[in-house]
Amino acid sequence: MSAIETHGLTKRYGHRPSRIHPPGHASEGLVRALEDLTIDVREGEIFGFLGPNGAGKSTMIRLLLGFLHPTAGHASVLGLDSVHASVAIRARVGYLPGGIAFWDGLTGERLLDELAAMSGRPPIRRAALLDRLELSPSTLRRTVRDYSRGMRQKLGVVQALQHDPELAILDEPTEGLDPLMQHAFYAILEELRQAGRTIFFSSHILSEVERVCDRVAIVRQGRLVALEDIPTLLARRKRNVEIRLGGAPPELVGVQGVSDVWIGDGRLTCRLEGDMAPFLAAIARVTIHDLTIEPARLEEAFLEFYVPDVLDAPDPGTTDGADPVAGIRA
Amino acid sequence: MNRALFAHTWRANRARVLIVAVALAIWGTFLPIIYDSFGSTFKDIFASGALPPQFAQFGGGDVFSLSGSIAIGFIHPIAVGLNLVFAVGFTTAAIAGERQRGTLEVLLSRPISRRVVYATLAVSGALFVGIAVLGSIVGSVIGASLTGRVSELGVSQLPLLWLNGALLYWAIGAIALLASASFDRLSQALGLTLAIVVVSYFLDVLGSLWPDAKGLQPYSLFHYLDPKTILAGIPHAGDVAVLLGVTVVAVVATLIVFPRRDLAAPS
Repeated sequence: MSAIETHGLTKRYGHRPSRIHPPGHASEGLVRALEDLTIDVREGEIFGFLGPNGAGKSTMIRLLLGFLHPTAGHASVLGLDSVHASVAIRARVGYLPGGIAFWDGLTGERLLDELAAMSGRPPIRRAALLDRLELSPSTLRRTVRDYSRGMRQKLGVVQALQHDPELAILDEPTEGLDPLMQHAFYAILEELRQAGRTIFFSSHILSEVERVCDRVAIVRQGRLVALEDIPTLLARRKRNVEIRLGGAPPELVGVQGVSDVWIGDGRLTCRLEGDMAPFLAAIARVTIHDLTIEPARLEEAFLEFYVPDVLDAPDPGTTDGADPVAGIRA
Repeated sequence: MNRALFAHTWRANRARVLIVAVALAIWGTFLPIIYDSFGSTFKDIFASGALPPQFAQFGGGDVFSLSGSIAIGFIHPIAVGLNLVFAVGFTTAAIAGERQRGTLEVLLSRPISRRVVYATLAVSGALFVGIAVLGSIVGSVIGASLTGRVSELGVSQLPLLWLNGALLYWAIGAIALLASASFDRLSQALGLTLAIVVVSYFLDVLGSLWPDAKGLQPYSLFHYLDPKTILAGIPHAGDVAVLLGVTVVAVVATLIVFPRRDLAAPS
């Protein structure tokens, strides 16, 4: 069974088309947050939902949790309808909102207790999570208003996962965490995966998605532009190659998968796509001082979907003026 | 109604409830003392014609009787302001304020329906208002005891007086919660509710001071707060019916509006 399934999920904000402006005209004030999104998140996988700020990531999450009502289409979470069974869904889901806010007057411990009580499930993972994220008892005895941004984020992670949910929906989960805590968080995700839990998380930090996710969906202006597993996505990316030559350069013209060859200053650079064997065979008889083949990066895959937009005119039919690549971190 | 949310709300507000109830009790104590000390003097002043007789009927009260002085205590801006701490302050912040801060998102990510969230907050608000109004009545009884005038007080009417006072602020609170559930920002909900309360209060006071404006009083919620007639043993069932009706309409409207509206990310 799928943990999350959407079919043609669409969310638009703003006024209905007026009689003055023809349908689809930008001046009708319609904001297209999500358009015809169809995805399927499998049970037990870590699924990355990628897009820059304003691409529709948070809208998607809010639709799944029943905070928003879809304009069209349908979403189900753990086999339950997101509109009619949102309470039952939230009983089985852990949610970390982006830029989470808390009742600042409570201590960290009291906050976690109260949220656990409202969840109606015992916080069986809390101790392990606190240990992993280095939130000590003395820290938890302080009021939340004294917490730093990173400590609040840690508390957010704990409240989302402390009751061991079947599905965790995490919006920008490592925002504000230092590199050490990011690693601790990745370890937590791995533990959850091994326990058979499903993780759906939105991010604009490409390196973490590449590191922890099994599959990734990329959204652009509310539309799905890619849905693949990470290795497949990377296999189609071109790797950058640099060779420091010790003699005559190899003949690479016409070699399968090789492009953009440049030779000069005793160096050869090119781009390499797909199977590496023909390339390695072509350079086998050349004297080489050094060879660097950069691994394919999700960043490049991502930018491939986005960079043309920078040059495109604004999409008619939407007033969503979000910069298509704003806020992306590699 | 969600017990965990109710416990959270009570813990967050109990100190404020205690302070407001004590303040209203102190205020309630003063009015019988003022009546006891200056009632006959005021009566002489008004009898001499030095002041227009309408001034003696501010908000349906007076200072020539214990019930009249208690009525003034209920309608006086100080008492109204203290009661509005919960009827407007708590209720508008309960949804719109939480939403603006981003904490409503954390709350609604729990398996609690919006109707249950609303019901819990409404019951909490009603309880806080009820305690505050009770503070006024307890203060009035203390004041009457201190001046030895308990015999003038219709003690058997006090539960009805509490109900009348609580119903007024429940009606205002229900309107405030409707605004709170309808807007994304606290300032919008608070502004609209305060505008309704201020206009309503103004109409009632104006009607009590200016005979030509008396016809405006039925449009004010405060018109249906009538401690003097209740303490005199002649309560108007219509007052309770109107306040109850406003409360029910606002509650039903909120139960329709809140679950259906979109809650976009807090900005």
